[in-house]
Amino acid sequence: MMRRKAFALVMGAIALAMFMGCSAISQTESVPPKHPEELAGMRPDCRECHEDVSTGALKPYASFRHSTVFIKQHSMYASQGQNLCASCHAPSFCETCHIRQDELKPSTKMGDRPGRVFQHRGDYVVLHQLDGRLDPGSCFRCHGNKNDTRCQACHR
Amino acid sequence: MRDARLGVDPRLWTGLCCAALLLLLPALLPAPCQAADITLSSRSYLLSYQRDVTGGDDKNYVPLYEYLSADASNLGDMPISFHFYGWGRVDLADDTNDDNGYNGDLGSAYFQYLHPTGNAEMRLGRFFFTEGTAAEIMDGIFLKARTPVGFGLSVFGGVPVERSITATDTGDSIYGGRLFFARSGFTEIGVTYLMENGDFQGDDREMVGGDLWVQPFKGVELSGRASYNVSTSALAQQRYVLRLTSISRLDVAAGYEEYKYKDLFQTALNSAFLSPSIDPNDEAQIVFATVDIEVASGWTVEGGVKAIQHDASDPGDATRVEAGLRHAYNDSKDLCGLSAAIVSADQAENEYQEYRIFGTYSMDVWRFTLDALTQRYKEEISGIKDAYQVVGTAGWQVLPYLKLSGDVTYTRSPRFTEDYAGLVRASLDLGTTTGGK
Repeated sequence: MMRRKAFALVMGAIALAMFMGCSAISQTESVPPKHPEELAGMRPDCRECHEDVSTGALKPYASFRHSTVFIKQHSMYASQGQNLCASCHAPSFCETCHIRQDELKPSTKMGDRPGRVFQHRGDYVVLHQLDGRLDPGSCFRCHGNKNDTRCQACHR
Repeated sequence: MRDARLGVDPRLWTGLCCAALLLLLPALLPAPCQAADITLSSRSYLLSYQRDVTGGDDKNYVPLYEYLSADASNLGDMPISFHFYGWGRVDLADDTNDDNGYNGDLGSAYFQYLHPTGNAEMRLGRFFFTEGTAAEIMDGIFLKARTPVGFGLSVFGGVPVERSITATDTGDSIYGGRLFFARSGFTEIGVTYLMENGDFQGDDREMVGGDLWVQPFKGVELSGRASYNVSTSALAQQRYVLRLTSISRLDVAAGYEEYKYKDLFQTALNSAFLSPSIDPNDEAQIVFATVDIEVASGWTVEGGVKAIQHDASDPGDATRVEAGLRHAYNDSKDLCGLSAAIVSADQAENEYQEYRIFGTYSMDVWRFTLDALTQRYKEEISGIKDAYQVVGTAGWQVLPYLKLSGDVTYTRSPRFTEDYAGLVRASLDLGTTTGGK
């Protein structure tokens, strides 16, 4: 059953690729794989160089200024295209947090970068009892069906 | 608390040899590997801490972690690349017997084709992707393309990469796709279908979602996402945000989110989201707002409020109000800030306050940071009402591609009476990288 589905999926993907073909694809330039210039380590503001709409992402550069507002809503933008993120961030950047299994929380791995916005600073094993009771949906996004190694200690 | 272990444990030598090998990589790699198209990034962490064990002696932990990522692009002079990310851990202390002292995970290993136009792409292998209302890790294939008229399609399928703590099947296949329409600078709207075969509370995981981004006026954006759970035949979650970016130094957003426990958490494998840990009949409605204002060059004020309403009296309603100030200095190489958050709730056990102050200082090849955090609970947790954590770090840029740093962390909380932990970090970046990190 699973093999049939996998076969159908692969065939469907090949059919889609053939159907789309290069001529059926928009000729609008894609987001470049890498930003052409080195960026500063701090929060970038695309508007320092760009004024208009990103031809690849089809959204204004102003939307991607890495303010606290953007960082808290970044999933809304990434869900409509990760290419612009990958242009500046290393491909594995998302996996600093979004990974199947990890043991070190991001704030430990990057303890030398206190300016970064992280969810689990301090002894969050204690605090999650309060935050998790009030808004479990915010935990669910990352820990609902993956990255739950630390949860095992109590939630069995 | 610290226990410096000087014995000649074989695992210690293995770990040290691995670390030495990584540090010598620049000399060992052939010249082509240092070309612009190949990058290698290594993060090694050596931790040292001690934990109490019920009914026994204290246990010492000295785990050595290695996080490795590698990217090779322009393979064969084509827009094809290969990306790898994974980590491993070996315990260097004798008395760390859990899981034999080893663990690790392959985060991603995939080929990617990026078409020069239309943001068309293909990924093959293990990867994390987010597309519409789907955000998954899988072993499989992902295809996406946009047509000249603005319509686009993405499809994905493969085997889900999940970790279950309930020992249930994690699903043997996952597939779906997204149909979308995008018009530059004005809108993008999509519909996502996701199906995962498996045992999710006796059912499959089948979701239909919608996502929207629209900019009716310059600097005014409305975005939203909603997910319908086909297995429970109900709207599981919806979230909408209105954001203003029209004023150059001001960024403000306000939004509404709603989710139903039984419909959203039906897809959970983590028992923390299942009854009896939570009340499946509860629903949450959340109103939130965030603001970020650059009040002067290098000075940013941040604020936020989040009001949570529950149908169930337990846990009841709550409101979180937070504010902060950040200051970038030293040619924006350094940053300091302070913040405060207050959570008020119907039930006192959910109330707490949080205060934080941090700063960095860079000087030539040296960098120092200090980060202090305290949380004050309204009601005692394990007899304690206050928690503290202070992290101090010192870093040394040894070579352009090699940085060493060390952390000392002090924690006092309901779990730790007095806890000191040490961390040594080696960061190695080889190859040419552009952009951020």
